[in-house]
Amino acid sequence: MRGREESLVQYCENCNVTVKGSNLVCPLCGGILQGQGNQEEEAFPHVPTIYQEFHIFIRILIMISFSMVVISFAINAILTKESRWSFFVAAGILCMWISLIFIIRKRNNIPKTIVWQVVLISILSVLWDYSIGWRGWSIDYVIPTICVVAMIVMAIAAKILKIGVRNLIIYLLVDGIFGFVPIIFLLFGWLSVGYPSVICVTVSAINLLALIIFEGENMKSELDKRMHI
Amino acid sequence: MNSFKNMNKVNRQIQKLLFTYKKGGIIMIRKKPIEWTKLDNAAKIFPPTTNEKDTKVFRFVCELNDVVDKELLQSALEKTIELFPMYRSVLRSGVFWYYFETSELSPVVTEEHKLPCSRLYHPNRRNLLFEVTYYRRRINLEMYHALTDGTGALGFFKTLLYYYITERYQEDFTEKLPKLDYDATFSQKMDDSFLKHYTSNNMLKRVKITKAYRITGRRSIDNRIKVIEGVMSVKDILALSHRYDTTLTVYLTALFIKAIYQEMPVRSRRYPVVLSVPVNLRTYFPSVTARNFFGTIYIKYQFGKGNDELENIIEVVKSAFAQELTEERLLEHMNQLSALEHNAFMRVIPLVLKDKILRIANGLSNRGITATLSNVGKISLTKELSPYIHMFNCFFSARRPQIGMCSFGDQLVVSFASPYIGTDIQKNFFRMLSKEGISITLSYNSKEV
Repeated sequence: MRGREESLVQYCENCNVTVKGSNLVCPLCGGILQGQGNQEEEAFPHVPTIYQEFHIFIRILIMISFSMVVISFAINAILTKESRWSFFVAAGILCMWISLIFIIRKRNNIPKTIVWQVVLISILSVLWDYSIGWRGWSIDYVIPTICVVAMIVMAIAAKILKIGVRNLIIYLLVDGIFGFVPIIFLLFGWLSVGYPSVICVTVSAINLLALIIFEGENMKSELDKRMHI
Repeated sequence: MNSFKNMNKVNRQIQKLLFTYKKGGIIMIRKKPIEWTKLDNAAKIFPPTTNEKDTKVFRFVCELNDVVDKELLQSALEKTIELFPMYRSVLRSGVFWYYFETSELSPVVTEEHKLPCSRLYHPNRRNLLFEVTYYRRRINLEMYHALTDGTGALGFFKTLLYYYITERYQEDFTEKLPKLDYDATFSQKMDDSFLKHYTSNNMLKRVKITKAYRITGRRSIDNRIKVIEGVMSVKDILALSHRYDTTLTVYLTALFIKAIYQEMPVRSRRYPVVLSVPVNLRTYFPSVTARNFFGTIYIKYQFGKGNDELENIIEVVKSAFAQELTEERLLEHMNQLSALEHNAFMRVIPLVLKDKILRIANGLSNRGITATLSNVGKISLTKELSPYIHMFNCFFSARRPQIGMCSFGDQLVVSFASPYIGTDIQKNFFRMLSKEGISITLSYNSKEV
């Protein structure tokens, strides 16, 4: 064993060092090595260089978005000078990207992604509603609906993807509490259509109640863990 | 026959269900509660500063005399993890701090196929924070630094090797199994020794950072680290360092400083070369924890103040080690570090902001460091196991050129890990040694440019 090892090593005469494995040049000085070398004595596997780059899908999406913005500005400028509709196209695409970035960043944690989307979509819809002349559709429909939908989606996703209850609790809790926000709208009488908000608050209340009754201890320990100072 | 078997199975299931029903009554049967632990003090800096360029992962390598058997290594790993339940944790983020949560994941041995010290911690991903791989005759343990330090990982690694070797060479251990020389109870392994030895309650002191010379260079495209390991004889190096009337660590540290100096541009020579040297605090304070318990000392050398011969560097390094490696100095460092954790203001800052603050602090302290040298020291193993092992090696993911060294028997392994493509410092270092008549055998990982 020893003998074979010694006869098959390489040697750098500049650095006066022996080099194991099969190499083209000396790792230190890049000089030519004397001797045969032995593939068997390699200490590390060969790992080819992986070039990290954006996924092609993302690239295409970026391309389409930018083209759409530019083209809509162009059409706007040529044909319908009196209106500013192309700004809405740009804003819409911007909103889509904000949402998408959050999805990509949090993609490894599905319930977290869902809660983030609830908050994000709520804020963006209020902004939209406000910027195109306040009609109240964002608080009438969007916020209550999205809260309820999120709870249902989380429950279904947890079943399909086998996410444990413990990993879900905190997000259900956050969404449940967020679901009570429409009460404020109701109390202050900001709403023109009340029933989505009433449904949302009811579902949230049932959700929270179920959480406390069935997962109360777990919820407490989960909160302790996440909130420790 | 088959259906009979099935019937039996169903029967057993029903019985089990009935039993649980009787036992539980109307109260739901509770699952085992999830356990969680805070990060120890030294670990707190790692999660915010982990990225693709600096993965905060280190590797221990054990080269055996024979090719590794995957199945036996897997079963050895399964036995080992039972003794270190802490390492089954995943890292998660709370509102104010990160924490470890125990998981049901089981580690799987794979053949090495990734770059050394690849990233182990990804935010929002639930995976184990260590990995055991093998390649030909080598067993590799890669560990995320937040989980433990070198000494902690070594305790785990030795246990793994113990199980592997006693199983692989069963016939040699028929009479009596050797003793495992890591003696710690579960709670001792879990111990947060920083907390235990924290004494003062002083506020965060202002630490002035002197700017150190920083090595620059071109990185490889996929952020791979370049590892060059040199195997030498302990006896030869000891004889050599005794000739300079000093110890092995001091001699090699001085040599590293000199190797860096030779590549320093003249205009940078006004900055000192500062080596950060992690110190195992278990040797100074009683602890056998399997978590982090290390401190860092800084060895500074200013060039251009008189003669810069190796003898002179050795003198400076020697006195710096003597000055820094005292219990009081280490305790002072430790308390400074712990003050962060005990600072009421810092504690209530949400994690998102804390991450940013810690990143900035880390960036500032990096300005004061030229390179790192960590000496794991002599690795000792029960003597019955030693004949099966060729050598040990260790190295760290590198943000800057780093030396990791350890010895086993008469084999001293000095591993250079560098994020840069250039190898001039490595060349200077090893050439100085070979010029002194030391015979060196090199292995390296990166055959591409």
